[in-house]
Amino acid sequence: MSSLVGFISLALAVIINIFLLISNFFIKYNNKIFNLIIKVSSILTIISFFSLMYAYIVSDFSNFNVFQNSHSEKPLIYKISGTWGNHEGSMLLWLSILSIYGFFFSRTENINIKFKQQTLLIQSFLHVLFGLFIVFTSNPFLVNSVIVKEGLGLNPILQDPGLAIHPPILYAGYVGYSIVFSLAIAGLFSDSDNKGWIFVTKRWALISWTFLTGGIALGSYWAYYELGWGGWWFWDPVENISLMPWIAGLALVHSLLMAKGEQIIKKWIIFLSILCFSLSVFGTFLVRSGILTSVHSFASDASRGLFILLIFFIITGFGFLVFLLKTPENSKPINFLFINKVSALVINNILMIIATLTILLGTIYPIIVEVLTNDRISVGGPYFNSTVIPIMIPGFLLMSIAPILSWQTNRIRNARLYVIGFIAISLLVLVQSYLSTFNTWGVLGLILGIWIITASFISIISSYKIDFNFKLLQKINPHIAHIGVGIAIIGITCSSVFKNEYDFNLNEGDTVQIEDTIVKLEKIEMTNEVNFQALRANFLIERNKKVVANIKAGKNYYPVSKMITTEAGIYHELYKDIYFIVGDQKDKNWFVKVYINPFVSFIWIGVLIMVVSGFIGVTRK
Amino acid sequence: MKLYHSCRKIAFVNLFVFISFFEVFADGTLDEKVKNLTLELRCMTCQNQSIYDSEADFSKDIKKIVRTKFEEGKSEKEIKLFLVERYGEYILFKPLLNYKNWFLWSFPFIFLMFGLFFIGLKIRKN
Repeated sequence: MSSLVGFISLALAVIINIFLLISNFFIKYNNKIFNLIIKVSSILTIISFFSLMYAYIVSDFSNFNVFQNSHSEKPLIYKISGTWGNHEGSMLLWLSILSIYGFFFSRTENINIKFKQQTLLIQSFLHVLFGLFIVFTSNPFLVNSVIVKEGLGLNPILQDPGLAIHPPILYAGYVGYSIVFSLAIAGLFSDSDNKGWIFVTKRWALISWTFLTGGIALGSYWAYYELGWGGWWFWDPVENISLMPWIAGLALVHSLLMAKGEQIIKKWIIFLSILCFSLSVFGTFLVRSGILTSVHSFASDASRGLFILLIFFIITGFGFLVFLLKTPENSKPINFLFINKVSALVINNILMIIATLTILLGTIYPIIVEVLTNDRISVGGPYFNSTVIPIMIPGFLLMSIAPILSWQTNRIRNARLYVIGFIAISLLVLVQSYLSTFNTWGVLGLILGIWIITASFISIISSYKIDFNFKLLQKINPHIAHIGVGIAIIGITCSSVFKNEYDFNLNEGDTVQIEDTIVKLEKIEMTNEVNFQALRANFLIERNKKVVANIKAGKNYYPVSKMITTEAGIYHELYKDIYFIVGDQKDKNWFVKVYINPFVSFIWIGVLIMVVSGFIGVTRK
Repeated sequence: MKLYHSCRKIAFVNLFVFISFFEVFADGTLDEKVKNLTLELRCMTCQNQSIYDSEADFSKDIKKIVRTKFEEGKSEKEIKLFLVERYGEYILFKPLLNYKNWFLWSFPFIFLMFGLFFIGLKIRKN
């Protein structure tokens, strides 16, 4: 029953949007009715989504999708999040978020009505494309032709609280770019004033980018504790795919800043807006088509891939075609000097685009090579580390001072202070690393991170009167975001360069010393949980002869899908994580791998600061 | 003028940092050599995991092979070529610099040059 409601409302929403698109050529809607139509279609789509969720919650196995991806013995939270733990459901989530964005955008006030309607029309065009895709190739409401009492179950890796938050937040980022895309296209069609357009674009671009940041970080954290590989970033194709619109979006957000300096480079902003959404859709194509194998490509199906490829070509082709045909003129020439804010922003943009394109190339190069020569090659971490990171380094250097550069002149206030600061930090880090273990990347990363934080603090203290209120927070917001980046860089550098690992074969009761910590494998036990069997090793962490924590690490066995997952145990501290993985048993002893990951927490803290600062930025007029 | 001065200072410090860069490539111990190489190899039976990080049987075998080859005095390049011959280029996370991959490796560099050229042009114009 709920499936029927779901399907009807899904189809109805698509039909309403088609009707709106066609009728718009003949009827001139007044604002109220237009908004009403958008809202009705949004609500219908969301009803459709909740019907699917309901089917999952009550384990309605007459729905084929529920039957294939759920199991009645799962805990409730995984029934709910299982709604989007499969291809069809996740596409419906995508469409629902598109609708939610449309809904809120239709409530935007103080913006030219004609412009708003055009934006919403493009939005509803996107709705139709993705709606048809779902109805024809990925319908989550198909009826199960046999009557069954039990479902096939959800992939155990996805049975994790991470599934409840990572996809919705990530999609909120990807799909948010649709609004930015629609605004750009509408901006090309209308000749309305730039001011309103820029302001609205800035807000939505920042919202999407902030969600994307959060989504990627959550995914990364999930990979960190769930895969049990000791790392948090693997340059996996799916990670690269999320990184591309993120970097492009970063370039976009920064370009929009230039609009504040009255230096509107509309052409570039529109280009980036189209690029961001194109990359999001392209990512969806690569993941959903099954060309790339990863934990994210649930089940692959060629027809879906083709359909999404078609949508990608329509959106990108349409976007860039309009862009070429109606390229806006620059209203003012940009004021590009040796070192002012504009040149810093332009350089930052160029570097980001090169980084984005390099990631894109590295991600699809194996596919191209395989098609052309039938050889299989891999492009992995070492390639990206040796290309993308060096490209970004000048950008990071520039970032530390960019916010205090002037728009008009070459002068930097307190230039001497910054130079002295930079040299002092460099020398300090160099000496420190020569005394301990020297590593070039380590030194570079530490100098950059510490320098960015210090420079941001110098700027805040020297440029603003410090009185604690929200207004000040809004003003110094760019610096706050950059401090977040600096903290994250320190975390990234330390955790990848100074990571240590130790292998042990331990029996119950054994004690080992790892750096300054004594670890005791207290006991190993097997338990039966609701839908899996768990093997857990209990480790006691001792410092100065006192037990400070006990950490459980082990494996789960899921009988429904006959899969084993690794459950890493992590002891979090501010300055390091102790990361435990339990391997196989060999003559009574268990193989235990321990990673010491220094400063990992800094990554999450840094990202959190960036996200908070993103939302503060949204409130800024 | 003062600004150019400061920029020069910054450039010197950077140079210093980059010079120290090359000191790292001195010979490491056998363990380090094995670690550095196996980090760049794909575990063919896992999902996007390096041989170094993986505990799969395949990875254990390759780790042994790499170690013996190093002990025999083979260079990193020779070992890589040996593995490529045996398992195909798919095993390398860092693609070889050959005719097939020249575009992959040169592209970021060309683009960077292009970008620098563009920036230089703009600065000169103003």
